[in-house]
Amino acid sequence: MIGIIDYGVGNINAFINILKQIGVPYKKVSNESELVNVQKLILPGVGHFDYAMKRFQDSGMIDKINKMVLQQNTPVLGVCVGMQMMANNSDEGILPGLGWINAEVKKFDSTQLIGNEPLPLPHMGWNDITLEKFSPILTGLENNSHFYFLHSFYFVCHEDSDRIASANYGSNFTCVANHKNVFGVQFHPEKSHNYGIKLLKNFSELC
Amino acid sequence: MLKPRIIASLLIKDGGLVKTINFKEPRYLGDPMNAVRIFNEKEVDELSVFDISATVKGNGPNFKMIENFASECRMPLCYGGGIKSVAEAQQIFSLGVEKIAISSSAIYNPTLITELSNKVGAQSVVVVLDFKKNFLGGYNIYTHNGTKSVNKNPFEFIKGLQLLGAGEIVLNNIDRDGMMNGYDFSLVEKVRNVATLPMTVIGGAGNMADIGKLIKQFGIIGSAAASIFVYKGKLKGVLINYPSSEEKTMLLKEYLKF
Amino acid sequence: MKDKTKKIQICTNCVMDSTDPTIVFDEKGVCDYCINYFSNILPNWHTDERGRSSIMKVVERIKSEGINKEYDCIIGISGGLDSSFLAHVAVKDFGLRPLFFHVDAGWNSDISTSNIQKLIDGLGVDLYTEVVNWDEMKDLQRAFIKSQVPDIDTPQDLVFFSSLYNYAAKNGHKYIITGGNFSTECVREPLAWGAYYQTDMVYVNDIHKKFGERKLVTFPRCDIFKYKILYRLFYGIRVVKPLDSIPFLKKEAEKLLNDLYGWQGYQHKHHESRFTRFYESFWLPKKFGFDKRKNHLSSLILTGQADRAEVLDRISRLELPEEELMLEFDYVAKKLDFANDELWSYFNAPNKTFRDYKNNYKLIQLGTKFLQLLGLEKRAFK
Repeated sequence: MIGIIDYGVGNINAFINILKQIGVPYKKVSNESELVNVQKLILPGVGHFDYAMKRFQDSGMIDKINKMVLQQNTPVLGVCVGMQMMANNSDEGILPGLGWINAEVKKFDSTQLIGNEPLPLPHMGWNDITLEKFSPILTGLENNSHFYFLHSFYFVCHEDSDRIASANYGSNFTCVANHKNVFGVQFHPEKSHNYGIKLLKNFSELC
Repeated sequence: MLKPRIIASLLIKDGGLVKTINFKEPRYLGDPMNAVRIFNEKEVDELSVFDISATVKGNGPNFKMIENFASECRMPLCYGGGIKSVAEAQQIFSLGVEKIAISSSAIYNPTLITELSNKVGAQSVVVVLDFKKNFLGGYNIYTHNGTKSVNKNPFEFIKGLQLLGAGEIVLNNIDRDGMMNGYDFSLVEKVRNVATLPMTVIGGAGNMADIGKLIKQFGIIGSAAASIFVYKGKLKGVLINYPSSEEKTMLLKEYLKF
Repeated sequence: MKDKTKKIQICTNCVMDSTDPTIVFDEKGVCDYCINYFSNILPNWHTDERGRSSIMKVVERIKSEGINKEYDCIIGISGGLDSSFLAHVAVKDFGLRPLFFHVDAGWNSDISTSNIQKLIDGLGVDLYTEVVNWDEMKDLQRAFIKSQVPDIDTPQDLVFFSSLYNYAAKNGHKYIITGGNFSTECVREPLAWGAYYQTDMVYVNDIHKKFGERKLVTFPRCDIFKYKILYRLFYGIRVVKPLDSIPFLKKEAEKLLNDLYGWQGYQHKHHESRFTRFYESFWLPKKFGFDKRKNHLSSLILTGQADRAEVLDRISRLELPEEELMLEFDYVAKKLDFANDELWSYFNAPNKTFRDYKNNYKLIQLGTKFLQLLGLEKRAFK
C-alpha cells in the first residue's frame, strides 16, 4: 500500500488517478493513525518551501514519517517541492529541510543566458533527462524520456553517489536523486503522461 | 533541453465546448470532457480550459466540471473563469489543477495575484489578458469576453505583474481569435520588452507553421491554439487533433535547429 | 441478469447460439444464419469481374450526375475499418469526389479521430462534422440505460444514421456511399441482442418520455418510414454499398490502410466509439448475456477469415481485462452524470425488452417482408 501524504500541499488527486489506473493499492494519509499498513510513501509538494515545510510540520505526521523513512527504511518518493523538502535547507526559505538526503536547494541563476535572453523563471515545460547512473525507478526510461518541470529552485546533492539523473536549464542540475530508500524527482511524474506513469509504476514495484 | 510548450486551449460556455471568432459567435463543439480525454490520450503538452460564462454570468467556477476534467489529465491543466478569491483558487488546486488563470480579477483586484502567489507559489498563478488593437495602432486590454475596455496602460500594468507575483502571462489576441491568419508578433514583442516572466500567446494560429514561426522568433514561449486543434479542413469539420511527438520533434528541428 | 442455468446450443458451423431466442438449427446443428448465408447471400454475392462491372456502372452514374457539383457523393466516416476502407476505395480506386461526413456524438476515441485525420490528409477530402448536442445525447443515453432494455446504443445508432440521411437530403447529396458489407456483417445482429430498430421513433420516444429529463430539440431523428419512403422515393436518395462488389477482407484491408495512411486498427469491431466498446464488451454480455462478437466473428467464420475454434476460445473470455472495464465503467458513469453506485443499480436491475415499451415492430416487420419479397433485403432480419 502506497501512502500519499496529504498535508494540504500538492496534487494528491493526480497521484490517486494514476495509481488507480495502474491498479496499485493506495491511500491518502492525512494524520498519523492513517500511516498503518503503508509500505511506501509519496511526498508531493508545490509552492513556497517554508509554506510546505510548515504545513508538513503542522500535520502531526512528521515524527512518525521521519521514523518510517530513517529507521524503518520505508521507500519514499518526494516530488518537486516534496523532493526539495528532503534536503537540509533551501535558499527559498528559512526553515530547515528534512535532511533525508545530504543536499541543499538553490535558486536558478536568472542572469544566465538562454539563447540571447536571460533565463526566464520558473523553469516551466517539458524537458529531457539524462541518466547518470542506474536506478530502479528509471527502468524503461533510460532513453529519450521527458517530464514536466515547474520550479524556480533546484536540488544540489553533496554526495556524488546520490545523483541519479540531470536536466539542463541554463546549466545542468540534478533532477532525480536517491539516497538509500529516499528518492526525489524535481519534475512532476503525475503530470508527465506515460513517462510519469512508468516512473510511478517502477516506484510501486520497488522491493 | 527545454521544449517550447504547445498548448491546446479550450473554451467552455454553459457547460459545452465552444469556439469563437473575435470572441463572438460561439460555435458549439460538443462535450468538453471527451475532448479533454482525447487530448490527454494524444499526450498534449498542456491544456488550458477557460469558462467564458463563469465570469459573465457571475456563477463562479463549476467545481464538478473542473474535477472531472482534472481526473482525465495526465499533463498540466490550467483553469480560468470566474475565480475571484483565494478560497476558490485553493479549492480548484485541490481538485487536481496545476495552474489557475485570472483575468478581470487580476485587473480590478490585483492584490489577489499576490495573495494567491504567496499561498501556492507564483508558478501556479497565470494572468490572462485579452487584447484588441485600437484605432491608433496601439493595444487595449479588455475584460468580460472582449466587451469592457480597461482604462490602464497595458504595458505598465504588465510590468507590475511580475512584482505582484504572477508566474505566467497569457496574451490573448481578440482580433486574431479564430481567424487562423497567424500570431500577432508585434504585441508579443511589446510585452517582451517590458516583462521577462514566462509568456504564452494565443489567437491566430492557422497551422503548425505559425507555431513554428512564433517559437523561432521568441524561443522559450508557450504557443496556445484552439482552432487548429478542434477543426479540420476548409469546412472546419470538428475533429480533435494534435501533433504527434514525431511531428513536434520535426517542427522543433525545423524552426529551432534542435 | 443472465440465466446461467439454461443450456445453450451453439451452431456447429459458426458460433451463433440459442441466446438468440429465434435461432433455428437443422438436423446437423447448423443455424439458420449459416443456411441463409449459403442459400441467399453467397450465390448472389460477386466480388470478381461481375461485381466490379456492376459497381463501376453505378460509379460512372454517380460521377456523371455529380460532374458540376463540388462533391459527387457523401460518405459517413467513423474512423472504423469499414468506412475507412470504403473511403480509400471510393477515392483511390473509383475516383469519386466524396464529402466525408462525421457525427460527433461525444464518444470519439483518440484512435478514431487520428484515423479520420489520416484519411483526410492522405486522400485530400473535405470533412463536415455534425456535432450532436451533448446534453441531449446524454439525456437519451441515460433514459435508455434506465429503461433496462439491451438496446442502450440506440441513441448513437439513431444519431449516426439520421444525421447522415437528414444532411444528405437537405443538401442535395443523392448518393450515400456506405461501408455495410457481407464480408464482416453477413450474420446480422439478432434483434434480441440489443439490435432493435434504432429508427423506430415510437419506441425511442416512449423510452424518452418515461425516463428522459429534458426536451430533445436539436437531436437528429429520422424515422424508418421517412427514410425508406420520403428520402428514397421522393428525394431519390440512393444508398450504395461498394464493399460487396469488390474483394474486402479484414486483415488485408487493415494492412493496406496502415501502410498507406498510418491508419490504426482496433481490438474489435465498433471500438472506435468508446461507449460502444464499453457496451459491447461489458454491459451487454454481463447484464444481458448477449455477446455481439458472436455475430461479428461468425460472419468472419463464414467468409473464411476466422477459425471457429479460435473464435470459441476468444468468446469464452471478456474482450477486455476486468480492470480496464472497471475504469471504463467509471468513465461512462462520470460522463453520463451517474454516481458510480447509481449506474451499478441500473446494471443490477431486472432486464426488459423493447416489447415492454410502445413500438412499431409489427409494422416494420411487414415493411421488411415486403422489401424481402422485392429482393431488396437479403440478410435474415429476426
